[in-house]
Amino acid sequence: MNLRNGRAIVFDLHSKTSVEQALPEAKDLEAVSATKVADGLIAQHGNDCLVLGTGVLTGSLVPASCCGIVRCGGQRPKTVPLLGFLGTELKMSGFDFVVIKGVAQSPGYLWIRDGVAEFLESKEMSSMDSWARTDKIRADQGDSKIQVVAAGPWGDAGLGSSQLVTNYWGGEDKVGMAAEFGKRGVSAVAFRGMGELELASPEQHFDEALLLIREHIERLGKSRGLASYSEIAARDDFAKLAHRHVACYGCPFPCRTFLKTSEDPGELRLVSKEPGYLHYDLAALEKAFQLGADASTASEVIATCAKAGAEPVAVMSQMERMGKTCTLEEAEEVVGQPAEIPLTGATNFERSFENPREYDECLGLGLCPRYWAKVGYDLEKIASSAGSGLGWSPK
Amino acid sequence: MSSSIILHIDDKADYFGLVLKTKSEGLVLGRPEGVSYGQQSSGSGGPGAKPILLREPCDLCGGDPRCVKICPTGCLSLEV
Repeated sequence: MNLRNGRAIVFDLHSKTSVEQALPEAKDLEAVSATKVADGLIAQHGNDCLVLGTGVLTGSLVPASCCGIVRCGGQRPKTVPLLGFLGTELKMSGFDFVVIKGVAQSPGYLWIRDGVAEFLESKEMSSMDSWARTDKIRADQGDSKIQVVAAGPWGDAGLGSSQLVTNYWGGEDKVGMAAEFGKRGVSAVAFRGMGELELASPEQHFDEALLLIREHIERLGKSRGLASYSEIAARDDFAKLAHRHVACYGCPFPCRTFLKTSEDPGELRLVSKEPGYLHYDLAALEKAFQLGADASTASEVIATCAKAGAEPVAVMSQMERMGKTCTLEEAEEVVGQPAEIPLTGATNFERSFENPREYDECLGLGLCPRYWAKVGYDLEKIASSAGSGLGWSPK
Repeated sequence: MSSSIILHIDDKADYFGLVLKTKSEGLVLGRPEGVSYGQQSSGSGGPGAKPILLREPCDLCGGDPRCVKICPTGCLSLEV
């Protein structure tokens, strides 16, 4: 099966056992959409399942093919994109999908690498914030490149206003998916793999992807990081703290801008271990600026929310209701006492497309919705480039 | 199609570079403060270093490296 592993792993948290499941071959982009396949797996294994998965193009040479998803079923199914290197690393771990069943007897993290999955109990992790969980997993497994999607104390408490954090950063989870981790006793899920993907026509896939990238770069011009996607990041105070713009896997027009708040943004050496924050959550920045914070304070407040695994717009809205100012101290006070506060309906990547169907389609393929909405979502061109990798002509 | 290049990264500090396996100089580590040769630093060590150690040394794709051509952010270039 080109560009895919052709298998899912179904992990039962209660018994800590897993079985592999072959995924059917399909030659239709809609049928292999990550969301559709995830829904099929949920229908098969029960509505209480949580599915992490990849699109058919995740990890391909098609530009910005970085995405994975987390999907849960029930009466109101929810989806969260996984950006950065999460989706790609999941696919390289040897599985296209991970189905998580049941509830763990004791909290811990699911560790998936090179065709193996195990649940490692860690009560200690329950008292850690999301950043410390990522650090612990990488230290325990001896690999700094492990990709981690973690809940924090807010997710552990099953709060609807929690957020999943990918490695150290937040912006993907605007639906409280972290609570789904917490309810199951899952503190984090970690991926690492040295897998390789087969391509039907490697040279042709390379050449076609190269043409797409060059066409896109010519059209988009020079990247200004997050400011290329929103004027909210074009403010002077934001620009002054910008250290660099960071791309997800395979993206030629990065939307992530790292602000250094704890050291000189011009410092290139590895000096401070926590020098600042990687911004790509537009909704959080908008709310912080609306409340009068400058870029430095906004970074500190959003980082505090990321560590706690709390959705930052909900937290800042709560601070506003309580008559608090948007400062680090006030934010720490609110996130330090996890409580049910309302989600505001804020969106981040979801707002990339006006048409939600296009958003779902793009994400289902494993492509970054923000990038592809910016460059012009053209399924025909994507299908043409994908075909040389897949070995069939997508419809 | 294979690769002889991996990222050297420290996420929390947003600090990164590249590790290239060469025929003549072994592993070459390019970081913001400069180039080093031979051994990898601790940041690229551990099991994460395996992929690069197990791979073929870079042959520059016969003189026209694909990594330079497809580098999405244009960070890579070839100096002869």
